[in-house]
Amino acid sequence: MSFVPYALAVWIFLVGLYGIVTSRNLIHITVCVTVCQSATYVLLLAIGYRTKGTAPVFADIPTEGRRVVDPIVQSLTLTDIVVSVAVAALLLSFALKAFEHHRSLDPAEMELKG
Amino acid sequence: MNVVVPLVVTLPLLAAIVIVLVGKFLPNRPSTVMALLGAATPVVLAAVLLSRVTSSLYTYWFGDWRPRSGSYPLGIAFAVDRIGAGLALFALALLLAALLYSWKYIEESHYLYLALMLCFGGALAGFALTGDLFNLFVFFELMSVAAFALTAYKIEEPSPLQGAFNFAVSNTIGAFLVVFGLALLYGRTGSLNLAEIGKRLTEDGRHDGLVVTAFVLITCGFLVKAAMVPFHFWLADAHATAPAPVCVLFSGVMVEMGIYAVARVYWVVFDGVLGEFQHPIRDLLIGVGCVTAIIGAVMCGMQRHIKRLLAYSTIAHAGCFLIGIALLTPDGLAGTSLYVLSHGLAKGALFLAGGILLATKGGIDELLLFGRGRDLHGAKVAWFVAALALASPPFLGTFTGHALIDDGASALGLWWLPAVVAAATVGSTAAILRAGARVFLGIGDREDPLLSENPSESPPPHEEPNIRWLQAVTLLLAFAGLAVGAWTGLAANAQEAAHQFTDGLAYTNTVLDHAPTLAVPAEHWRTTAESIVWSLVTLFGSAALAVGSLYRDRLPRSVTDRIGGVLHPLRAAHSGQIGDYIAWLTFGVAVIGGLFAFTVR
Repeated sequence: MSFVPYALAVWIFLVGLYGIVTSRNLIHITVCVTVCQSATYVLLLAIGYRTKGTAPVFADIPTEGRRVVDPIVQSLTLTDIVVSVAVAALLLSFALKAFEHHRSLDPAEMELKG
Repeated sequence: MNVVVPLVVTLPLLAAIVIVLVGKFLPNRPSTVMALLGAATPVVLAAVLLSRVTSSLYTYWFGDWRPRSGSYPLGIAFAVDRIGAGLALFALALLLAALLYSWKYIEESHYLYLALMLCFGGALAGFALTGDLFNLFVFFELMSVAAFALTAYKIEEPSPLQGAFNFAVSNTIGAFLVVFGLALLYGRTGSLNLAEIGKRLTEDGRHDGLVVTAFVLITCGFLVKAAMVPFHFWLADAHATAPAPVCVLFSGVMVEMGIYAVARVYWVVFDGVLGEFQHPIRDLLIGVGCVTAIIGAVMCGMQRHIKRLLAYSTIAHAGCFLIGIALLTPDGLAGTSLYVLSHGLAKGALFLAGGILLATKGGIDELLLFGRGRDLHGAKVAWFVAALALASPPFLGTFTGHALIDDGASALGLWWLPAVVAAATVGSTAAILRAGARVFLGIGDREDPLLSENPSESPPPHEEPNIRWLQAVTLLLAFAGLAVGAWTGLAANAQEAAHQFTDGLAYTNTVLDHAPTLAVPAEHWRTTAESIVWSLVTLFGSAALAVGSLYRDRLPRSVTDRIGGVLHPLRAAHSGQIGDYIAWLTFGVAVIGGLFAFTVR
């Protein structure tokens, strides 16, 4: 198993973080958060990967002599995606409401400080 | 007993679902009654649970997927010990108090608000009871999503939106750190059950890059929730903008859940494999705790927005909680758990008193409210009783917790640590006393050159809040917070519970092999002269500093300018910009990870 998927996961995560740190747009930040989350999917799936493994279907298909990828990490990824949808929906609705107030999506024009 | 465990978590969640489904078609009153029942019943169940788990850990396998002894655990388990059950009970009790208060506070309690609160409470309880790492992440996210929505509850205003946005992005990134860590641990051990991961890591015995990275990522992820410097920025924004009863749960128990998770994961998963690095882990976590405690106390002294002031006070106390955990001894843990209990009740009362000010006086700014709280007798008494509880007076309030942490630190030779804890307590309590003296008593100067401006907050949407009711709930919490310290039997209980908590091997054996845990007899703590001295120091120090800071306007301008100049960079760091917060977060993880990797090498 090569190290490439792991390096890729770290890379995607860092790209997402860089996006959040430098962004001047709330919707862009939301997308960057989902980019960070995608890194966790890549990592989880990479951990469950088996060389020459097939889909983890056990009903109706004989299992002898067959390698399957790990189904647990796939279900973790699905849960992770559900979480990501909820968070992204909330963040986007916040962005929308913020735009209604300020006519701008730039976080620098908001007012909390100190 | 078997039925009780899952019901503690599922009842609030079920009540939330029912309220969402039928609340639209009903007047507000039935939804409120349903929500109160949905919170009160699990409180009773959690109390039953706590009374039953006194001697040993109780494991509940969902769907009865109980592993045979020695085999691989496929199911998902709740592993309930006294500290977990106590924390769940505490979270649900605070939820009930917050709902009772909301009843007369937020326009007859809108049904969606009630559903969110119940979701939040259920997730908090689940987080405290679960014995599964992925489950921890799921409850972490469930409580977070409910909390984000609750922060932005007053969505027609701009600042709650910003507070909620910063809160949501920071905590979500924190959750990803946890996922990264748990994925690495799953890759190594093939398990998500805390006990099984701990067992396999210990048997494997390697403490290589993977284990160290996983430890750092999981710890940092949970420390984001615990609002440790430099991950703390979201907390003040979220607390300053969320409705007051929501803040009760945020400050009282949500932040503490982050610290609980760090302790749980350390003792069950990492203590076996990283046990020989107890020293660097202890030093690192104590360092983080000390910096947090001091920065929280300093920032607290510079706020005029009352809820923001209380938020920084929570950061200061959270630093002290982490110090207690970071001693990595049962006494420190017992101290933190008692401290959390008294702090949560007292801080809850303070937030509720702030909510009363907002509802009746239409503002939450210390200088603008000068003397206007004189007629609110209930809120006034509650404010000062709660402040007294936080000042750790002898044998009241947070005293026992403080004393256990101090004695635990002294036993390890960390003689300077009690001074840090005392300084953080003095700084934050003095600010609370100062704000109370200005608002409720009308004493002190009307101007203060060191306080920072913040956007005002509009009162909750309610025609005529029932002030008597609100004050009654607030007083109840304040006096409970003070009285908890006087309950001496609790210290012995907490010590036994902490011994049970820190025995990772017993936890593993009970969960995986169903071996009954032998209760470890704890040496019972006795009040030392030292702890009474420290408690007098914090009590009188807080009062003296509060009086001093009431009259800061009389200092020569050159002095206040100098102080303001020194504090300016710190204040500027709290910029309200999510980009800055995430930059700090990344920096914090890099520094903590780097330092730890360097010492473990």
